[in-house]
Amino acid sequence: MRYKNKFLSESIFYSFFLKFLKINWFVIFCIIILGFFGVIALYSAAGGSWDPWAKSHLYRLIFGSLIMFCIALTPTYIFYKFSILSFSLGLLSLVWVKFFGSGDVPRWISIGGMNFQPSEFMKLGLILILARYFDHIPKVYLEKLLPYLIPLLIIFIPGLLVISQPDLGTGLTIILLGLAVLFYVGISIKFVIISFVLLASAIPFIWQQLYQYQKNRILVFLNPEMDSLGSGYQIIQSKIAIGSGGLFGKGYLLGSQSKLNYLPEKHTDFIFTLISEELGFLGSMSIILVFCVLIILIMKISFNTASLFSKIVTFGVAFLIFLYLGLNIGMVCGLLPVVGAPLPLISYGGTSLLTVLIGIGLVLSINIYEKKI
Amino acid sequence: MKNKNIKKLNKKISRRFVFLSLIKGSVIGAIGWKLFDLQLIENQKYEKLSDNNRFDFHIIPPERGKILDRKMRLIAGNEDTFHLVLNWNKTLDSDRVIERISNIVNLDKKDIINFKKKISLINEIPTRKIIITKNLSKKNLSKLAIRSIEFPEISFYMSKKRVYPQGNIVGHISGYTGLPSNNNNNFLSVKNEDIQVGKRGLEKFFDNQLRGKFGRKRNEVTSKGFVIASHIYENTISGKDVQVSLDMKLQAFASERLERGNFKKIDVTAKIQNRINDDTNFSYINKDYVYLDEKNNISNPNSGSIIVMDIENGQIICSTSSPGFDPNIFSNELEIEEWDKLKTHKRSPLLNRSMSGVYPPGSTIKMAVALAGLESGVIDYDSKFFCSGSKKIGNREFHCWLKDGHGSLNLSEAIEQSCDVYFYELGLKIGINKIALMMKKLGLGEYYDLEIDDKAKGVVPDKDWKLKRDGLSWSLGETLNASIGQGYILATPLQLVTMVSRLASGGSKVTPTLIIKKNKNDFESLNINQNHLNYIKKAMEKVVVGRKGTARNYKIGSKNIEMAGKTGTVQVVRISNEEREAGVIKNEDRIWKRRDHALFVGYAPVSKPKYAISVVVEHGGSGSSVAAPIARDVFKNIFDLS
Repeated sequence: MRYKNKFLSESIFYSFFLKFLKINWFVIFCIIILGFFGVIALYSAAGGSWDPWAKSHLYRLIFGSLIMFCIALTPTYIFYKFSILSFSLGLLSLVWVKFFGSGDVPRWISIGGMNFQPSEFMKLGLILILARYFDHIPKVYLEKLLPYLIPLLIIFIPGLLVISQPDLGTGLTIILLGLAVLFYVGISIKFVIISFVLLASAIPFIWQQLYQYQKNRILVFLNPEMDSLGSGYQIIQSKIAIGSGGLFGKGYLLGSQSKLNYLPEKHTDFIFTLISEELGFLGSMSIILVFCVLIILIMKISFNTASLFSKIVTFGVAFLIFLYLGLNIGMVCGLLPVVGAPLPLISYGGTSLLTVLIGIGLVLSINIYEKKI
Repeated sequence: MKNKNIKKLNKKISRRFVFLSLIKGSVIGAIGWKLFDLQLIENQKYEKLSDNNRFDFHIIPPERGKILDRKMRLIAGNEDTFHLVLNWNKTLDSDRVIERISNIVNLDKKDIINFKKKISLINEIPTRKIIITKNLSKKNLSKLAIRSIEFPEISFYMSKKRVYPQGNIVGHISGYTGLPSNNNNNFLSVKNEDIQVGKRGLEKFFDNQLRGKFGRKRNEVTSKGFVIASHIYENTISGKDVQVSLDMKLQAFASERLERGNFKKIDVTAKIQNRINDDTNFSYINKDYVYLDEKNNISNPNSGSIIVMDIENGQIICSTSSPGFDPNIFSNELEIEEWDKLKTHKRSPLLNRSMSGVYPPGSTIKMAVALAGLESGVIDYDSKFFCSGSKKIGNREFHCWLKDGHGSLNLSEAIEQSCDVYFYELGLKIGINKIALMMKKLGLGEYYDLEIDDKAKGVVPDKDWKLKRDGLSWSLGETLNASIGQGYILATPLQLVTMVSRLASGGSKVTPTLIIKKNKNDFESLNINQNHLNYIKKAMEKVVVGRKGTARNYKIGSKNIEMAGKTGTVQVVRISNEEREAGVIKNEDRIWKRRDHALFVGYAPVSKPKYAISVVVEHGGSGSSVAAPIARDVFKNIFDLS
């Protein structure tokens, strides 16, 4: 017994070490590359300076990675247990910002001098609670429509709350993410089609509910030249920056559009534009490629894992990263309206970074602890 | 059963998994394609747009060459001016900036209005430089420059403004500059408010020489319009100076003398001002003095022209046209009102009377007719005609200016006294075609190769000309009119002075020029009998020194220098028989438009002709009493005899 105890005390440490080794290092590698891209892009955005963005982005990356590792090494069932709590906390904080939020547009919540955007964390909360819900209910029910009622509420309540902040981009991300999970779990195709028709017929109503600036963004998206000084200015300048990059780019630190301040929000939502301008088609494609590898790695984990909870969580995180990527790059290159979506790990901004890293932490945890097929 | 369900579910999930992966793949594919399209296919277009953003291409105007007179006096030069420029962007409250600037320096109201107009026209470009004023004085410049930290959005730059120190005495010749119109803008691709091209006169003719070569630079500008770097990649080359044959001292004298005529110059007092205000006919006043005519009526300055030409080389040393205009007004932003005033003014100040004003030459043409007679051999020096005061052709009577007639006289006497009937008879004998030929030989009815673009050709009528114009045959009466320089015949003062030069030079084909040529001009000969020319010249001398000469009252009176010439009084309206019987109304009593033109052509000194002159005073009265004294005074000025 004594011997066993001694062995046990060693073995906790040892098994911890073993778990650490079981981390999917390819995923970590992708994150390091993307983080590196983020740091050099922000260094360039500041005109070749570590301040004010590059340095603190690096710190945030390190801090976020530590959290990611902690989560990765935490057994998955703990998250299963905490999923309802995390969703409820997210929902509460959304209601909180609705009434006590800070900033011009109430999106932020301040805790100990740090600003958080609860809408970002909400995405993870949503993935977790949906995963738990579908894991929990008898599988036979999934054929029917009734069990999807609660998830729809779970999706649309936070989604609409965020849209009303108003933050159309994030709100739509939440709803799209939730719907993708429903679809993944196996909601009937008929239902999907019917809801599409309903949604299409609701568009005029939704249009009325939108704020003027949101309407403008959509209108300008449809015709950027309509307002080349206002909302269209951003997208025109962004396209000029991307397009003028060419194959190899204008060279690192030599992007004229960003250096001369023609690029709006070049350090946050439009960071990809800066990279495209300075590093060209090759640079922008390598970023997309790394993101794709990351998504594929996560999907592979999702495919191999046994429990529905794990499947849904990993799928959700992969889809979340895909949504970030698609919305952001689609927006800067003019495929989508300017909705305000960051490029995770690269854009300057703590919340989306932390969201993605926590999400990947969950995926890594599942990869370590969960049963494989 | 349960297992089967789970299996089924798993299968479904796998299917959905694949389906969603496909969607993701296609979205990323679309993004990839879009980037491929932007960065590789449309790359050049966006590179251009990016450069347009980044660089602000500028043309650096060279310093325009000066125009100088024969003694290197400045006719057109350049003056430094400072432009005040607003680096406009759409977030800027321009009214506020103007208000703040106005607190420090006084801005011209016109400039502010123009500026606001420009602001309101901007709707596309996010940033732009807008000129607030082009005439910032050095004092105001330093006032603003000291406080430039408070005004990050304004900048200054130095520019050159064209100045014409001689003012309106030489406006017609110097011409002026202006912004290139779209027609002659093809040498530039970039608009620049500093670019001036010659629009008229010498400025236009010598534009290529004066303009120099434009430099080019590009500025790297931020989205807010701040210049962070400037790179000149083509240097400017200043324009070359142009020296012309005019003498500004003489020009100034002649202008003043022409305007004054026989009038009295007086200052404008309150009383005079009231009289001016009452007089609706008085339309030209831009000075602090006016003129009083013989009857103490307030009068406009004389309109007309004086040209003085160097007979030896054809150089024009004086060319005035009154009323003139001040070319300096074109250097500032020209007000439409001001321009309209010039354009619609009753006395057409924009017309260069010396070169593009056409007048019937009247009696000044008589030398040409006389020469035609001598050359064709229809008369000799002793041939006489009898003047009874009129000549009847058909049932129309042609009158001599002297009602009672000159009696019998020869050619020399006819020129001296300007007998019309003699020339009627002579004209009939020669025939119009030979007269026209001689006129053309002496320089009438042609454009010269002169350094001014707007010139008039005038008219030298002959049988073919009439047939071509009206389809009618020539009548004898018209020959009579042509013989005394009336009727169809029209000439510019420049042509008249050329005619006199050719006579006085002894039959050389003198042609006018405005530039000083280093090598001496060898004009070809007109092949006119020297004896005939000398005879005509003697007759012209008699006009001044002869006992009955029409200009006998206006001798120079110097021992060495005397002038010769010919007066001309040109009827503007036909005098009907009734009027003639009732007694012709005196010139001064007619309204201005119906008065006679007063002309004088001549040369001096008599012994060795050096300068030729033509004086035209529009509706000035008689050539002998109005034009001849002006010519005499101009010669006195030239030879320093006053």
